[in-house]
Amino acid sequence: MDSNKKYWKGLEELEQTPAFVKNSKSEFAESLPIENVLTEAGLSTKTPRRDFLKALGFGLGAVSLAACQSTPVHKSIPYLIKPEEVTPGIANYYASSYNGQSILVKTREGRPILIEPNPKSIGINRGTDAGTQASVLDLYDMSKLKGPKAKGSDIDWETADAQIISALNAANSSGKQIRLVASSINSPSSLAVIAGFIAKYPTAKLVEVDAVSYAGIIKANQASFGKAAIPHYRFDKADVIVSVGADFLGTWLAGEEHTQQYADNRGYKSLENKKMSRHVQFETGLSMTGANADARVAVKPSEEGAVLISLYNAVTGASLAGGLSTNDKAQKVIGLAAKELVNARGRALVVTGSNDVAMQALTNAINAALGSYGSTIDLDNVSYQYKGNDTDFTAFLNDASAGQVDVAFFLNVNPVYDYFDTEKVKAALGKIKLKVSFADREDETAELVDLITPNHNYLESWGDSSVRDGYYTIVQPTINPVFNTRQAEQSLLIWSGNTVAYHDFVKDNWEKNILAGTAKTWKDVLQAGFEYKGDKPAQAYTFTGDVNAAATSIVNTNKALAKDVEVQLYQSVAIRDGKQGNNAYLHELPDPVSKVTWDNYVAIAPKFAESLGLGENSLVKVTGENGYTIELPVLLQPGQAQGTASIAVGYGRTKAGKAGNEVGKNAYPFAKLVNGTLQFSSTAKLEKVSGIYELAQTQTHHTIEGRNVIRETSFKDYLHDPAHGSGNHGEKHKTYDLWNKFESPGHKWVMAIDLNACTGCGACIVACNVENNVPVVGRDEVRRRREMHWLRIDRYYSFEHDGEQVTEEKELARLSKEDANLDNVSVVFQPMLCQHCDHAPCETVCPVLATVHSSEGLNHMAYNRCFGTRYCANNCPYKVRRFNWFNYWNDSRFDNYLNNEFTQLVLNPDVTSRSRGVMEKCSMCIQRIQAGKLKAKIEKRKLKDGDVNVACAAACSANAIIFGDLNDPNSEVSKALKNERVYYVLEEINVQPNIGYMTKVRNTFGA
Amino acid sequence: MRNISLLFRSVVKSLILVSVLSMAAVSAHAQDAKEGKTLFQQKCTSCHAIDKVVVGPALKDVSKRHEEEWLIKWIRNSQAMVAAGDEQAVALFEGHNNLVMTAFPDLSDDQIKNILTFIDESSQAPAGGGTEQGAPGAAAADSGNVSNFMLFGLLAVIVIAFVVIIVLNRVIKTLERIILNKNIVIEEEDEEEGEGKNYFETIKKLAKNKKLVFFFVLGLVAFLGSAGWKTLWNVGVHEGYKPVQPIKFSHQLHAGVNQIECQYCHSGAFKSKNASIPSANVCMNCHKYVTASEKYNGETSPEIQKIYNALDWDGQKYGPNQRPIQWVRIHNLPDFAYFNHSQHVVVAGVECQKCHGPIETMDEVYQYSPLTMKWCVNCHRETEVNHKDNAYYDQLIAAHEKLKEGDKITAASLGGLECGKCHY
Repeated sequence: MDSNKKYWKGLEELEQTPAFVKNSKSEFAESLPIENVLTEAGLSTKTPRRDFLKALGFGLGAVSLAACQSTPVHKSIPYLIKPEEVTPGIANYYASSYNGQSILVKTREGRPILIEPNPKSIGINRGTDAGTQASVLDLYDMSKLKGPKAKGSDIDWETADAQIISALNAANSSGKQIRLVASSINSPSSLAVIAGFIAKYPTAKLVEVDAVSYAGIIKANQASFGKAAIPHYRFDKADVIVSVGADFLGTWLAGEEHTQQYADNRGYKSLENKKMSRHVQFETGLSMTGANADARVAVKPSEEGAVLISLYNAVTGASLAGGLSTNDKAQKVIGLAAKELVNARGRALVVTGSNDVAMQALTNAINAALGSYGSTIDLDNVSYQYKGNDTDFTAFLNDASAGQVDVAFFLNVNPVYDYFDTEKVKAALGKIKLKVSFADREDETAELVDLITPNHNYLESWGDSSVRDGYYTIVQPTINPVFNTRQAEQSLLIWSGNTVAYHDFVKDNWEKNILAGTAKTWKDVLQAGFEYKGDKPAQAYTFTGDVNAAATSIVNTNKALAKDVEVQLYQSVAIRDGKQGNNAYLHELPDPVSKVTWDNYVAIAPKFAESLGLGENSLVKVTGENGYTIELPVLLQPGQAQGTASIAVGYGRTKAGKAGNEVGKNAYPFAKLVNGTLQFSSTAKLEKVSGIYELAQTQTHHTIEGRNVIRETSFKDYLHDPAHGSGNHGEKHKTYDLWNKFESPGHKWVMAIDLNACTGCGACIVACNVENNVPVVGRDEVRRRREMHWLRIDRYYSFEHDGEQVTEEKELARLSKEDANLDNVSVVFQPMLCQHCDHAPCETVCPVLATVHSSEGLNHMAYNRCFGTRYCANNCPYKVRRFNWFNYWNDSRFDNYLNNEFTQLVLNPDVTSRSRGVMEKCSMCIQRIQAGKLKAKIEKRKLKDGDVNVACAAACSANAIIFGDLNDPNSEVSKALKNERVYYVLEEINVQPNIGYMTKVRNTFGA
Repeated sequence: MRNISLLFRSVVKSLILVSVLSMAAVSAHAQDAKEGKTLFQQKCTSCHAIDKVVVGPALKDVSKRHEEEWLIKWIRNSQAMVAAGDEQAVALFEGHNNLVMTAFPDLSDDQIKNILTFIDESSQAPAGGGTEQGAPGAAAADSGNVSNFMLFGLLAVIVIAFVVIIVLNRVIKTLERIILNKNIVIEEEDEEEGEGKNYFETIKKLAKNKKLVFFFVLGLVAFLGSAGWKTLWNVGVHEGYKPVQPIKFSHQLHAGVNQIECQYCHSGAFKSKNASIPSANVCMNCHKYVTASEKYNGETSPEIQKIYNALDWDGQKYGPNQRPIQWVRIHNLPDFAYFNHSQHVVVAGVECQKCHGPIETMDEVYQYSPLTMKWCVNCHRETEVNHKDNAYYDQLIAAHEKLKEGDKITAASLGGLECGKCHY
């Protein structure tokens, strides 16, 4: 039985706006000038014979002239002294790490071209996030500094060193402060270097500050359990998860690790064992995590604290004042959730996204009452990912403003941009005698300092990191420093009078400390990439904090928030805090929920927008409490809490570089400091301003004409009948084939996609971009529906009434607005890529046979054959074929991406860079298939499952994409495709796709 | 006709005579020395030169210093002689800092004699240039061979052209005579108007012959058409492309004479998609010692010097002023075609020469194959898959046997003609 639930991709489709209807019917996104030609005037135009001959003659002449171009001479320049490990044409992999994720860096002829997760890493990461995948592009950023600078002019390292050392000595001897301001440093070796630096200059101190702070959790744990740390959350051990405003799958703490843990309890393997966690989310804006929740309730930022108080009351039976008194739905869900939590004692987890100490303390109290400590929360193997301390930074600003600080260093921080009180930072900077930045570019802060001593990119660096107790990863360079930069740690060593090379320092530190007592050597670590000492047993903790004080504090904070429009600041999944603000891959990665690229916006619930007189694409002026104003476009977001607006931080960089400058507006100044921690909930006034601004969204670029492409069920139904909702019951259509059955005697490459595991994060999209040289097209081209992504993640909305799934029997077009409760929507993510149909409709319409089928079940695309009729794209029922309108890698109009020889070094040499006028689409990473086959042939062995993996599947932390050979009965994919949940999208049109999807399962209340 | 055949016969005779004579002269003079030279270059040059101390002593007039029999023994295994206590041998060994000379047990007496003959000949070369004179002399002789060949070719062309002219003249004469006999009036008129007019009139007359004009035009169209067709098809095909390289590296010397395995330098061909031009440090494995100075008055060969310059080699170590060698790429595949050497060389076991031609005879490398898609595809159609003892193919072969029993298993039948094989 098919589900007859109706899904819609966006409000345009739901409301069937005239523009949407028009676009959905037209063959091409842009109008073709057919009418002009077919009008009477057009048809009666006669080309005089002479004109025709002139044109013919000119054409012939031009063509012959163009053909006269001599063949270019290609130079072939071998190494003079070839490094032993390099064989031209063969990739080398180096184990390294990025933000504590253990990774493999693929290099070709000495240049890094791809980041992959380290498959051998233990316990922390299966995949990588989008930022990690995209980080390889940062290495080839043309906006980076080429050497040290002093006030805008180039200097050499000796001069810079002399100047800094004399300033340090002067400050030290006069007892003035020296401050090293850095974002969280979890590298043991860096910390050792800094300790040495402080030993040499005793007035020096390290001030750690994060743009998006987690200091509230650290302080709350100090107050609740006497342990100032961020615990290690274990979503894999939680059967019931309640999140209050924490986007834990995306941007909150370690999103990738959480995704892996979370998906392990919800993916197909877990479902086959009849096990699935339940996830309840209370939040303001519709986040990626909220979109994955089984039950999601929209609450205002001011209600989040009240939700916690009510939940605490419901769980413990206490009666704290200040519980939720409004929002009936939330109250009902809190009651249900509390019951579930209590029943799942020891397997329950409550997390809160807020940085407010009181709210975190109350969360701790709930978790302690639920017995989570020692099971789902591990306070003995704590996380070191975020150590920023807002109080320390405030103290630094005060000291600096008072003229107490003589020398300040800025490492991986950009407070002029990302601190809410920019003026205070600027004033403080003005009072410091010598300011030194380690920034790799002249960013907003570096612009105001005296000296910039640029740091290496992480791919050029030695180093290490330890994101949690007992887990250490190594950072090793994969390319020689491209520019005249120097690693920050090396600079600090030199300024401390230590002449040791940082590589030796790291090695020494590992051998003496981390590897002491093990049989492992430095070389072993370089090969493995990490050292895991195992977890200490997690203990249960008794809550010793003051719940009443916390509740009182929460009530007071909420009162302050309950005015004007409540604004929630959040990090977008792609851009996050804005550190990778010049990364074109990330700017073009659509937001998982809103599908907006290249901009931030004010997300408002449709009904609330209507009351403010705002519509889609209206411009609105946002005035914060401190008087800061920005103008941003409006995005109507179903599921957004009424009376609130959500704005992403990380945008509006002014000094990031060509790609990132002036993309969106800076929302950091709306943050504020409350009770010593940075708060990202605030209030603002919204005012409509004239003008419209079209956001570059990808969601409405394709229409599915109301066809049944998503299939879902509830966990309860699934338990009764695993095939429920998949459409795999009852009589199938009798199908007739026009074509012969397609045989794949050797391999048959197929894919299984688990809709229940996919969180929509988009890491696969960036991995695909990097692996397959998929171009970035920029905002304007996305607006023209010309984005090139081979793999997209479709996001479908459907309705939900008061926790119950409803079936809308009417067609979307006839859905009246009253039926449409846009506050309660549920979301399904569906990765959509070329389905490699065995009876592919695209193949039959190509006039030049540029796309044909292979004996391994792949739909091949020969770019050099294609001449761009675009018939195939029109005939593709999945709309996965993308057309190159320009030479994006060599066109001055696309200057923010590959239009220079340096950045072009990121291209994968095994994949053609497509020219304009050519159609392209997912090739199932055929270059990897061929390479895997060749390796097996050379080694004279059978191809094993796992020898070949596609880039998207490799990047996926949730194991939502499984790729392999269907003809191998033991492969993971052939087992996965036997699952009862498997269905094929649009199987009724009998194109015989090779990608199977598994139904979405929701573990809803009452189901 | 008799005249012509006579002339032809005499030409042929002289040709044969000249070639036989020159062959005889060359063979009589250099039979031993030539093989000796080759062997000398292969085996000896890493340590010896004719009149310069390299690692071992200069070999000029070595046969005057020692008996031939003694030399043969010494060359085959000098250490055995030293161990046996041969006086001369011990003296020589100790006189050269106890440097051990490599033993050559594989060399036959004749081969050693040939080497000695070569050394003798080189030693006898007139003073001043010393033995080096021998080398340029030989080079001149080599180029002489080439120019002789060309000379004979040219001669032959001239002779054939001459023959053609004579035959044509005779034909014209005969035709004239026929016209004269048949039409005296015209002849008379013609005689009045002169030769030129006559010729012009003939063409005019011929032009009035519609059949002739038709066939002429047809022929012309066919000729131009086929020429144009051929030209157009060969646009972008660079068969025979032989660019000037920055170093006059000779495959004929290295792969041909010295029999160095292809993969010694092009190791990538067995591992990677790129066969790769060897890095200069690979050259230096031999050319640290092999300087070919015997040919250049004791100076390093200017071509080998280019390697030293690129590496900034001072005889001891590489210097800081290194400049990469910019070879000109000969085999250019377009960006959209993926080619992998290891697939063809290791898996399929294709010989290098199959695509690169008689590389061991090429003094300068040229593109031997057209490198067109047609050429690739034809080979994929015909070549049987080398699946023996390769477990990878088991399943494919089994499936293939089921479908097309007994058919040849070519690359094409296993998907070798599919677009995605090379284009992605």
